[in-house]
Parts: sequence; C-alpha cells; structure tokens
Amino acid sequence: MKQFKSIDALRRGLGAVENDLVDEILAGRLDRRSFLRHGSVMGLSLSTLGGLAGAVGLVAPRRAMAQGKPGDTIRVAIATPAGAVDPVTVADDGGLTMLIQAGEFLCVTQADLTLKPVLATSWSHNDDSSVWTFKLRPGVKFISGGTLKADDVIATIDRLADPANASNALSAFKGILSKGNARKVDDLTVEFHLDAPYGAFPYVVSSDNYNCIILPASYKGDYEKNWDGTGPFKLDKFTPKVGASFVRNPDYWGDKALPDRTEFTYFDALQPRILALQGGQVDLIDQLPVIGGQALLNDPNVTIIREKSTAHQQVHMRCDAGPFADKRVRRAMALTLDRQKLVAGLLRGYGEIGNDTPFATVYPSAAPTIAQRKQDIAEAKQLLEAAGVGKGFKVNLTTETYLEIPQYAVLLQNFARAVGIDIELKIESQDAYYGKAVFGQSDWLDSTMGITDYGHRGVPNVFLRAPLLSDGSWNAAHFKNKDYDALVDQFGRTSDVGGQRDLAAKIETLLLDETPVLFGYFFDYLVPTRKGLAGIPPIPNRLFLDRAGFV
Amino acid sequence: MLGLLLRRLPYAAVTLFILSLLVFAGGQLLPGDVGRAVLGPLADPRAVAALNHQLGADRPALVQYGEWIGRFVRGDMSQSFAFRAPVAPFVGAALWNSLKLGGVAFTLVVPLGILGGIVAALNRGRLLDRAIVLVGLSATVVPEFVSGIVLILVFGIGLKLFPISATPPPGAGAAVQLYYLVLPAIPLVFIVFGYIARMARAGTVEALDSDYARTAVLKGLPRRDVVMRHVLRNALLPTITVVASQTGYLVGGLVVIETLFHYQGIGSLIYTAARGHDFPMLEAGIMTVGVIYVLSTLAADMLLAALNPRIRAGGRA
Repeated sequence: MKQFKSIDALRRGLGAVENDLVDEILAGRLDRRSFLRHGSVMGLSLSTLGGLAGAVGLVAPRRAMAQGKPGDTIRVAIATPAGAVDPVTVADDGGLTMLIQAGEFLCVTQADLTLKPVLATSWSHNDDSSVWTFKLRPGVKFISGGTLKADDVIATIDRLADPANASNALSAFKGILSKGNARKVDDLTVEFHLDAPYGAFPYVVSSDNYNCIILPASYKGDYEKNWDGTGPFKLDKFTPKVGASFVRNPDYWGDKALPDRTEFTYFDALQPRILALQGGQVDLIDQLPVIGGQALLNDPNVTIIREKSTAHQQVHMRCDAGPFADKRVRRAMALTLDRQKLVAGLLRGYGEIGNDTPFATVYPSAAPTIAQRKQDIAEAKQLLEAAGVGKGFKVNLTTETYLEIPQYAVLLQNFARAVGIDIELKIESQDAYYGKAVFGQSDWLDSTMGITDYGHRGVPNVFLRAPLLSDGSWNAAHFKNKDYDALVDQFGRTSDVGGQRDLAAKIETLLLDETPVLFGYFFDYLVPTRKGLAGIPPIPNRLFLDRAGFV
Repeated sequence: MLGLLLRRLPYAAVTLFILSLLVFAGGQLLPGDVGRAVLGPLADPRAVAALNHQLGADRPALVQYGEWIGRFVRGDMSQSFAFRAPVAPFVGAALWNSLKLGGVAFTLVVPLGILGGIVAALNRGRLLDRAIVLVGLSATVVPEFVSGIVLILVFGIGLKLFPISATPPPGAGAAVQLYYLVLPAIPLVFIVFGYIARMARAGTVEALDSDYARTAVLKGLPRRDVVMRHVLRNALLPTITVVASQTGYLVGGLVVIETLFHYQGIGSLIYTAARGHDFPMLEAGIMTVGVIYVLSTLAADMLLAALNPRIRAGGRA
C-alpha cells in the first residue's frame, strides 16, 4: 500500500532527476532492487531510499545473510597473484583479493548492483552529471596512522589516472576522468570534474574499478612493505607466491571484523584448490568455474554461494570484411544458437541466457520490452539464402584457452553446421590470442570470428563502449555505426533510469538488427565454502570476509 | 680424476652459456610482453608502455640480455619483472624445496629401481622378472597428474593418511617435512622406477652373461659373491648414467607434481615466469636447473671414472 503523504514529504527534498526515479517506481517500471541501485548512484542516502521504498510498498525480501560467530580463523585458497601486489598495477583475481582485505573504496558494488557508501558517505552531481561531489567519512584512520582526508582521495585517483604510472585503472578512466580533475573542496569533500558527463560515475571509483582502494597521499609505491589502507583487516604476514594472513584491525571505523584472523594460501591451479577444500585444508575457494569445478557442485560437505553476475563471453563477427560483413549472415549465425542448452550444458544452469546485447537482465537499465532471440534454423537459412550464401561457407573461429570458452566454441561449431556454416576452430593460449592487444597485432582484434572473456561490471557502460563503439579500442567486430555511437554517448550522459531504459531499448533493437557480437549467456560466480561457514556476501569476484564465521 | 674434471668444466660452462642464449631466444618468441602480462589484455596501451619502460623491457633484446648475463656472471640474478623484487630469494627458496622433494624421490627410487632390476635379472624369464618389468613399464607411462590425483583422493581425502599438500606448516621439523613429501614423491617413483629398473636389469643380464662372471662361477665362488663382487660393479655403469640424467628432471621438471601438490618448487617457478614473461626469473630458474643438471652429469662421470679405469685413462686403456 502506497503512503502518498510520506512520499510527498520525502520528494520535497529531492531534485528533478531523483523525482524522476520516484515517478518510475510509482509507475511500477522499477522493482525495489533497481530503485535502490539507481538511487544509490544518485547519492541518495540509504535511509531516504529505504523510506521511499517502504512508502510505495516495496518490502525488502527476507534474505538476510546468515552471520557466523566471532573469533574464527578463516582459511582461503586463492589464485596466486600474478606479480607484485601493487594497487596501481594489479589486474588479476589473486591480486585484487589481496588489495581488498586491508584496502577500502569510496563505495562498494553490492550483490544487487547497488552502491554502498564506504569511505564516502554520500555523493551528488550537477545538472548534466559532469561534476560529482563526494562527501568523505570523518574519523577514518589509515593503518599507518593518518586520518583520511580529501588530499588522500585526490592523490589516489590522480595516481591511477596518470598515463605515466602504468595504472591498470587507466582504461576505466579513459574519456571519463583525467589526472588533475579531482579537486579538494574541503578536508572531507572532493569534486570530480569529468572529461564528459557520465551518469554512472560512482561506479568508476567504486569496487567495480578494483585498483581504486584509497591510500594515503604519502604512498610511495611500496605496498608490499606496509599494506596500508583503512579496512577491517591489517596484514599479519605476507610471503610472495606462498600466501598472506591478516588479523582484525582494532582501529577500524566501522563494525569490527568477526574473524580473529584470515589466512590466504596461493595456488597456481584450480584442481589443487578444489582438493584443498575437499581435504579440509581450507574453508573456501575464491571462485569456481563450472567447467573443472564439477567435483564440488554436488559435494554434500560444500556450500556453493551463487553470485549473479554480468560476466560473459563475447562472440565477435567481423562486420567490415569476410562472410560476416552482411548483417543477415550475422543474424543467421545468432539464430542457430540454442541458448537454453548453452546455459544448461556449459554452465549446469549457473547463469542466464543472453540476447545479443550487453544488457543482462540484472541491469535495471535493461529494456524489459525487447523480445528474447531464440533458435530458428529455418529463418537462419532464409537469411543466408537472401545474403547469397545459402549453401553455407567456411570460416575460422579464433579463441583462447580460458574457462569454458573452448567448449563453447565447439558448441557454436555444432550449432552453425545446421545451416551449412563450417567453422574451423583455432584455440590458442591467452597470450597468443590477445597478442599486443592492438589492431594489426592481435588475433583477438584481427580475427574474422572470435570468443573473448569479459568480467563482471556493475553497469553496462564498459561493455557498450570499448567493444562496440566505432573507435572502441576492443572493437574486435570492427562494428562502425554512427547511430549506435550517438545512442551510447547519450546513454552515458543519462542518469535517470527511465531515460536509460528508453535508450537501452533503442540500443538493443539496433544491436539485434546488426548483431556484431553474440552474447549467448551471462554466467554466475560461484564461491564454494565448507558447510557451516556463513557471512560471505554474494558479491561477484569480491571476497569480503569481515562478516565471515562458522555457525 | 682431477684431470677429467678440468677437461669437463669448460664444456659445462659452454653448455650453460648456450642454454642461457636458447632461453633468451625462446623468450623472445613468446607472444606478448611483460607489461601486457602484468596489466592484463584489456589494459590501456599507455599503461602497458609505461610499465615496460619502468622495467626496462622495452629496450632492445640484446641490450637486455647483455645486462642480464653481465650481472649473472657476477652472481647477481637481477630483479623480477613481475614481482619487482630480487630474483635470488625466489630461486633460492624454490630450489631448496625442489631439492627436498627430488631428494626424497631419489632416495626412494634409486635403491628400489636398482634392486628391482637386479632381482629381475637374477630371475630372468621367470614370473617375478616379467612382473617387475611389466609393473615398471606400466608405472612409467601413467602421467604424474593421474597417479597424483589418485593418491590424493585415496590417501589424502579418503583415508586421510597423508596431507594433500606437499607444503608443511611454517617451522615444521624434518620428520614433518618428510611426512608431507611422501605422497608427492610416489608418482615420481612410479615414473623413474621402470626406467632405472630396466637399465639395471639389462646391465646385470649382460654382466651375468659375460666371460668374467662365468669364470667366477666356474672357479667355485658362491653366487652371492659373484653378484656382489663381479656383476654389480660392471652392471651398474649404465644405470649410473641414467640416474644422473634423471636428476635434472627430479629437481627442475616437476611442474605437474608441484602444481598438483601445491608446492613451490623451481619447476613451477620457471613455468609461471615463462607465462608472465618474467625474463630475469625465467633465465635464473632455468640456469639453476641447468647447473644442477651439469653438476649431476659431472658427478656421474666422476663416479663412472672411479668404477671404470678405462674412462679415467681417457679411453687409452
């Protein structure tokens, strides 16, 4: 039941964009999760959001995370960090898991893709979303002793946005925020002046961009010597290539960590990690792919934490040359896919089907009105006939040995055979596939057809831009479409969810017509734990252990 | 003996130099670069270029090699590209681990293999001979990852008799360390046993058929004395060469076992260095294994010379 008096009272304190969000939820076009997510991007406080959601009758689902008892030691098997644990350069799962134990972000992406304030207490933007103002949490202490101030945030962001610094975050900041454009308003307020308006900016400085842990302005690049940060844990011991252990940070600003201690052991391969969990040497594994991880999926001693994600494998088809230059051929290829079988077979059901656009249904901005593409061999044959290749053709598919991708390639090969497309597979190491990762020197970017892995993102903006914009640096499909570019530019500037959905509908319609890339499925992240371990939040690829404990 | 050693040492040095060149050349053929390996395929090219520049990996290949070999001959293994820390402690720790695991496997397999070969030869044509040969051959062809996983599942997870990791807790004593190394050593025993046993059997059979053995039997020596004093001394010469050739494998070639049993040995160090384009770590790791291999071959040559006067005399006898 809607409480209009309460709603009106809350609306009076909101701006035009925020009120648009309330309109959307009143009109029933947003569910509770989408409402909270968009509200969090706009910087609405959790109390305001909760009040509005309650007033319009959207009750929180009873899915409270079980919590363990305090005082445990949690033992974790993770992938060996690929190199030095350095917040500027880290790019791998093992390294990022290390960063987030002692380090914290301005805000953190939750399981429902909302943003939770952490070192920032709130944020807001100007009318066109080109300037964002973040209020910082007072009284936060660094492990090294100093107090968090605006200068620390500015130095951290400048370090990551500096092209001279070998920063892994540079690609996320590209075209959005440049070095020198984070400015101090006062000791606890920072303004970010963006290169162009960007409605989803808080995600760029959130845990989505995992290099953005906030360090003191005095940080000298020697992270492995001090493991500084503001987090619930502080380092106890670190041995490169072997492991690390952490203990509770008694000076933490928030609720103190439940575990007394966490112990991370590094493993070079998945199978030993699985065996270590089965053998009782660890309590959880950071991440389990379905292929290769079947042994744990049905193990009665293991609990699988399932985390919905937007991670996927993109199948690109060259739009500028070769057999896929005709969009009817690309559409025909898309129509050969039996997506339900892909999810059931490749992922054992741990995922959801895709609709050849980056808009996974978990994104609130996804247009709900777009019909799902289904397997239709007859229509595929008609399209090939119309394109003048009714008798089929041969084509090479180049891809990488990573997760379930080789098996996906074989399934695509089988699907395509039904319409006479003869796919020859070239499956190579990741190094060989990505090559120099620039056009002309990369099998990934130069191949006629290929499959490429993309990790989870809290907003679809990255997926919409680099792999699909005409000048996108990851545009392996060589897709060039001015209408698309304009729509994505507009989408990026838009911060209200209604406007985003309208644009998403246009973008999805255009992509379904052009089909430069197949998005066959989005897969879940799976975290296997020993039975009885609770308090691990189901956030894809971010292992936060401060609430972990055995029940 | 000293003369033989002095004659061999220059060859060993040349071998190691050629090895360093081959590794370096091979490293150049690997696709990608260290900046891309550290920052990932989707990193901004400016960041990749900046990291390659910071590490000196964007300099001409020969300049990099020249600097590396210059430091190496002075005992400096340089800095790791990936870990941005000196290579020597990584290699030292990994080598020590590998020597421990290799040592346990060596201690188990060499006596077992030689004994098996001799017993088979002494029972030539009988059921025991065939059983030893067949078991040895079968064990050799079972890949380490198969036997390793079976052992882990049965003895580690099922019966819980052994830990499934080869890495003992910090500060563990020698007995505990040995306990942790037994299970991973067994697949290595499987692989090397058949090889050593076959060589020992062939050598023993040949020695048993020789004129001097027949003479020893005919002059009335007990069978035990014939075997111990006349047959074994000659039978084991080719086996020693085989054992020496396996030493390099037992120290540096255990990537699969080290990965499976979660053990930080030099094999996995080399493997991850190659994957990460960490050229200084790769060169140092392979050169270390190369030195072990050369030293074990030299030791085998010395042992052969001690057992065979013709070798001591440079083939002039």
